[in-house]
Amino acid sequence: MSKGFASNYRIVVLASLVLLCFGGLGARLVWLHVIDREELLAMVEKARREVTIQKARRGDILDAKGNILATSRSLIDLGVDPQLLRKADEKKWPRLASLIGMPFYDLEKILNTRMRTEGPEGGGEHPIEWTSLSDQISESAYADIVKLGVAGVYGNRVYRRAYPHNELGAHVIGYVNREEQPVTGIESYVDFYLRGQNGWVESEKDGRQVEMAQFRTREVPASDGYSVSLSIDAIVQHIAEAEIQDIVAKFHPQKVTIIIGNPRTGFLYALANYPTFNLNEYNKVPKEEQRDLRNIAVSDVYEPGSVFKIVAASGALNEGLVTPATTFDCTLDQLVVNGVLRKLPGEMAGDHFDNHVSVADIIARSSNKGAAQLGVLLGDRRFYNYVRAFGFGQLTGFPAGGEARGLLRPPEKWDGLTITRMPMGQSVAATPLQMHQAIGVIASGGVLLRPQLIEQIRDPSGAIVYNFGRAEVRRVISANTARVMAGMLERVSTEGTGTRAMIPGYDVAGKTGTANKVVNGQYSKVHHVASFIGFFPARDPQVAISVIVDDADEGFLGHVATGGLVAAPSFRHIGEQLIPYLDIQPALADASASLSLPLAMEGGRR
Amino acid sequence: MKTSSAHAFVNHVLVYALVGIGLSGSAGVGAVWMRQQISFTANANKALEARIADLTRRCNETSAAIAVEQDPAVLLRRNTAWGLGLVPPRDDQVQHLAEDPVMRLAAKRNSGLYRDTAATAGLTTFRVASQP
Repeated sequence: MSKGFASNYRIVVLASLVLLCFGGLGARLVWLHVIDREELLAMVEKARREVTIQKARRGDILDAKGNILATSRSLIDLGVDPQLLRKADEKKWPRLASLIGMPFYDLEKILNTRMRTEGPEGGGEHPIEWTSLSDQISESAYADIVKLGVAGVYGNRVYRRAYPHNELGAHVIGYVNREEQPVTGIESYVDFYLRGQNGWVESEKDGRQVEMAQFRTREVPASDGYSVSLSIDAIVQHIAEAEIQDIVAKFHPQKVTIIIGNPRTGFLYALANYPTFNLNEYNKVPKEEQRDLRNIAVSDVYEPGSVFKIVAASGALNEGLVTPATTFDCTLDQLVVNGVLRKLPGEMAGDHFDNHVSVADIIARSSNKGAAQLGVLLGDRRFYNYVRAFGFGQLTGFPAGGEARGLLRPPEKWDGLTITRMPMGQSVAATPLQMHQAIGVIASGGVLLRPQLIEQIRDPSGAIVYNFGRAEVRRVISANTARVMAGMLERVSTEGTGTRAMIPGYDVAGKTGTANKVVNGQYSKVHHVASFIGFFPARDPQVAISVIVDDADEGFLGHVATGGLVAAPSFRHIGEQLIPYLDIQPALADASASLSLPLAMEGGRR
Repeated sequence: MKTSSAHAFVNHVLVYALVGIGLSGSAGVGAVWMRQQISFTANANKALEARIADLTRRCNETSAAIAVEQDPAVLLRRNTAWGLGLVPPRDDQVQHLAEDPVMRLAAKRNSGLYRDTAATAGLTTFRVASQP
């Protein structure tokens, strides 16, 4: 019978040794887990724990047809750790230089500089661990660089805003700076929706700094930003900007603004300014040209000139004080206003009116004296109320650009001449957008509509989050007054000051404006703001166009740069291009129909 | 008898210990294998996520490139450079339709295929054969 394979003595010795070892291990474990616990945990936490931010992608800005106006591209910020470079890779450097788009000499210099000398008092040299090579490397170029396999060359992904159309709609879209802060335009206005929310991953990494995915403890996915669809149409915007280029080439103006919109909804198809800038190169705009970044359509004000006559005429018609056939003596030099004899404004050089000028002619041929008398007829307070109702002196609520209210003083602060000057567009200042909004009152049938740009906001899956619609501010004049006004404005293009705006086959309603600029505190005779603001077809308005040219070079024309000469042809040119694109059809009614409307009112109160 | 039962006990303990070690080892190997699988799956997921993210980035890059090429100014340049001679249609070349163009085209395509006049009552006849 066997006694077993071990004697009692040996078992005791072995057991004692094992126990001793276990005891030692236990003691060491207690030491590590209890006494040194905090210090070791902190060390492990620091060495292994990793929180990776998942960057949310900023949403796109799209035009009305779904074309991308602003998007976020992933670019690679490429750099090199010169300490990791290998001799064997040197033959790849020329190819690397061509992929980066950097002269080989420059790249070689960077790669061969491995030590950095500290400042004079710092002393000594330190190894360089990172030198940036380019922050504009595309994904495809980076894939080629990775394939090339130069040790020590690697990149970090960043999202950068890209504007595929460069200058197109620059003032509307706005831009995001390199710190990812939106600065102007839609980028700034709807930043809350566009921005998205970063996510993060809590995990651990190994000794090679590689994440160990199995130790992920929390994953919060990034929520990409929403997309914003604008009413701006890239083609219409291009038409407007091309027209501006033509105007600039011909007249060398200081500023130009063209606004194109749907007068029935208030949504804009295009808003273009000169000067402008390239959204992808906003940081290259010199300091002295920083004003180019302003959206002058909403931030700059000007005296609107004769276009403003629509306010006095609409007010007087709406109040039943006049009909289109009511006549005024436009030869008068003075008029009794509030019991005081006041001097009436002069007419434009070369314009002559007799003593029986109808309201329709005052508008069509743009009589300053006639407009002044319409204003006087309305009276200070009532005229002021109409000016306010048309949207002047207040913000339109436009989302892109620092909007100005314009200049409109209340009647208590008017001098005796204001009521004779404001109806012809002096003593008041408005932004181009306010003027566009005002003509929209007549085109929309008497309602002031809020000018809008944003049509929809969509989540990353494409589902509509918010749909914007027509926004009525208030009714300003009756629908009948609006129709009568449209008829009178039609005569501007057929026989008045804006015949160059006429589009064959279409009834165009609009008003010319030629405002003298104030230079050194006085109205200049050589510097003007020329404008034509109108819509067509007059009986069924489908598009409203505002063309405002500030300080056109009169040398080209040989005489005053009037709205009829400078802006009206552009209105026509734009309109002709929009007809096939927007499928605008001529109104079916006979051309005489609208002109007969004023006659229907002749049996009215006056 | 006493000695042999002590030895038997030791033998039992050793057998149990061996079985225990075997089981523990198996459990340990199983746990390691499971961890390996978790690690493998997690890394595979991570790789897939990275691939999806990469594809999404490339899609976005392609979309941006397409948008650049669809810029009206670029299209005009291409039109000139390639001598395509494309111009917008003139108004007199455009036929405005008040009706649904699909229905109009369908009617145009189908004209002549069927009798254009409506069938009148009485023209429709059925032949019925009677059993002899």
